[in-house]
Amino acid sequence: MPIDRKRINGPEETVPYNLYTKLNTKSLLQEFDELFCDGKRADNRAPLEHRKIFLKTGVVSQAKGSAYIELGKTKVIVSVFDPREIPNRTDYSLKGEIYCEFNCTKRRLHQQDAEEKQYSAIMKQALESTVCRHEFPNFQVDIYALVLHNDGSPLSAAITAAGVALSHAGVPMYDLIVSATLGIQHNVKFLDPSNTEQRLCDVSISSDGKEDSHGIIVISMLHTHEQISQFYQVGNISLEDITESVKVLETACKDIVPLVQKHLVKHILKTIKNNEDYVILVSS
Amino acid sequence: MTLCEAEKTFVLHGVEENFRIDGREREDYRPMELETDIVSHAFGSARLRLANTDVLVAVKIEVDTPFPERPFEGKLEFFVDCSANATPDFEGRGGEDVAIEISNTLSAAYHSPKVFDLRKLCILKGRKCWKIFVDILLLECGGNLFDAVSLAVKAALWNTQVPLIRQIDIDGNNVELKVSELSDCQRLDVKTAPVMVTVCKIGEHCIVDPNVAEEQCSVGSIVVSVSENKFSTVLQTGTGSLHSSTLLDCLKLGYKVAQRLDDALWSTLSKIQPTEDVGFLK
Amino acid sequence: MSTNKELISKIGLRLDGRRANELRRIRCKLGVFTQPDGSAYLEQGLTKVLAAVYGPHQVRGGRSKAQHDNAIVNCQFSMAVFSTNERKRRPRGDRKSTELSMHLQQALLSVIKTELYPWSQIDVYVEVLHADGGIYPACVNASTLALIDAGIPIKEYVCACTASLANNDTPMLDISHQEEIIGGPTLTVAALPMSGKIVLMEMSQRFHLDHLKKVLEKALKGCRDVKQILDEAVRLHVRDVGSSTGWAGTG
Repeated sequence: MPIDRKRINGPEETVPYNLYTKLNTKSLLQEFDELFCDGKRADNRAPLEHRKIFLKTGVVSQAKGSAYIELGKTKVIVSVFDPREIPNRTDYSLKGEIYCEFNCTKRRLHQQDAEEKQYSAIMKQALESTVCRHEFPNFQVDIYALVLHNDGSPLSAAITAAGVALSHAGVPMYDLIVSATLGIQHNVKFLDPSNTEQRLCDVSISSDGKEDSHGIIVISMLHTHEQISQFYQVGNISLEDITESVKVLETACKDIVPLVQKHLVKHILKTIKNNEDYVILVSS
Repeated sequence: MTLCEAEKTFVLHGVEENFRIDGREREDYRPMELETDIVSHAFGSARLRLANTDVLVAVKIEVDTPFPERPFEGKLEFFVDCSANATPDFEGRGGEDVAIEISNTLSAAYHSPKVFDLRKLCILKGRKCWKIFVDILLLECGGNLFDAVSLAVKAALWNTQVPLIRQIDIDGNNVELKVSELSDCQRLDVKTAPVMVTVCKIGEHCIVDPNVAEEQCSVGSIVVSVSENKFSTVLQTGTGSLHSSTLLDCLKLGYKVAQRLDDALWSTLSKIQPTEDVGFLK
Repeated sequence: MSTNKELISKIGLRLDGRRANELRRIRCKLGVFTQPDGSAYLEQGLTKVLAAVYGPHQVRGGRSKAQHDNAIVNCQFSMAVFSTNERKRRPRGDRKSTELSMHLQQALLSVIKTELYPWSQIDVYVEVLHADGGIYPACVNASTLALIDAGIPIKEYVCACTASLANNDTPMLDISHQEEIIGGPTLTVAALPMSGKIVLMEMSQRFHLDHLKKVLEKALKGCRDVKQILDEAVRLHVRDVGSSTGWAGTG
């Protein structure tokens, strides 16, 4: 890998200091109990309650379209750039391509690591089926997602924001795309998990050999077509749990859609109003 | 390989009639050949041929320091190399995208401690652990890479001999290990290691083990990786989207086939005999 | 470097029990894969190599590279990460593999009748599965077989072999990895054994010029021996393929 000499890289690997403190002695089960007691989560949400979403478009002035999303503390900026010719390609492709880059800012080097590459691939997979790629053959649309603060579910936040940013950029699309994440641990389903919940769902905490499911599911939905454009799961989950989770996630996605729609309508109204002002300005 | 519309229709009709272009039914696999212990200087190895798909997996083990945040666990790393022998497109760094996709999916599939327990690879808490390198070499691509790779990886891990630790000398910060001879080793426990099945949707039906032509006809496919009776990872590939009921049907089919495949793999592994002519000379 | 370890014992045996003028066992097979136009597998002692040939086909990656009177030969050498005792970090792209790719191309260019395929390209890919000394010769020999399997016209076999000088006076053939690391010079020769031409010669370390003649002679003898073995394999393969099709199309 070539190293960018202009950048001060800092140490290659860092270790959080709290690993060495004594605070770290709680067992995972205890942590879980603290996080989820009396049917309430640490931030007073019900297990199947989504965090509040804040959306804003046009945050990056250089980009053709951009969107900023907040899911609780998770903050993501997505920018979409004009279609351009696919670099380093010799053969002609009938359909346009999508290039996604996902950047997460856990103290990391600026180069993408394996996890970010995987997320980029998932994002690409999710967005490919919603963009009318035949409209720009041999061109690619660049989408960059930058996670400013990762407090769980960054991938679905990025995909939802990317859908908004794409429509803001005026890229032809078949449908609105929204995405949601769900974590499972100890027979409890956490919709839109926070970072600590996500971390707990990642490992198996029941030590007594019970057949509990644990894991994370991310889906992206095309709203009007009721199609799942991307489905990603890790962990160890039984078929029944997946079936139930898909239903939960579907309703969660349906709940997000009105917000996105409202936002887009607002954006269009604003643009029309600006244009009217402009027309009045020109005619007067 | 690119297919014209007529060829695609032919494949599609075949799938509808439950009589695919090579005479298989929708849930059938192509013939497979499995050999273990094929790379003599590796700790474990396997070669799987699934019709035209050829995968060689070798396992190497090194002593390493555990991650500070997980002092009780060893390490497992997957590396996929797409040899240009498979197709000229893989020349140079051309195969990197495929390679990363496969290795990431494998790491996701082996991520859960219920699937593969990394704690067994710990030698000395926070100081020493085994690091297992699983190196996958794709020699020929005839479709359905994920299934072939997952089976070959499972077989290679099954074949792997981890040396026993005879003695640990701790002198200040120096740790010295005395390792047993290669003849006296223990095998890895891979009973719960995942098996992946690619379910491909063509027309109205789902098929498993698509060949290259069928992969071309499909708009969307799902890779499910099943460990015992749970899903360890599910990944959607291809450009299309699926309805949620189709998705669940795909998962069910993948689950059923994966169980069958896993049973077949175990019975094959238990029957494997050391033979004289292994490898490419056969 | 440990020179006290003798390369040849008093009774004339080498570390692996061979005599000075003996090759390691060569086993090979043509047509191991179906997708490439030609493929071959070759085992020389423990060194194991796979070669695949694609082409002649249209030039990939811009027509600017195409030549109007010749085919271009494109070689890529790559080593599996598990091929050596120490796990390698990268299968290709390092200096050593790039150098070997170029040397391989040089050797193959000398025999392929490139003038028959203007505006086209021939790809030769070799993959080392197990490296145990004499990687380059094994690659050249495997590529020759793969070219024959692909049916690409070549002038004659191109074979390669290594030779060394033991105890400063005895030349010995086909150096294994163990002998390589113990020390002593290694002379690698790729030759056209039938016309006796040398297409590539490379040497590491040094010996007196007086010894060059006999070491080179030994290496050439090795090339001739290799050619014998390859020729036998090709004949066997053609007979198998031919008889299974009932010699169809041979008129």
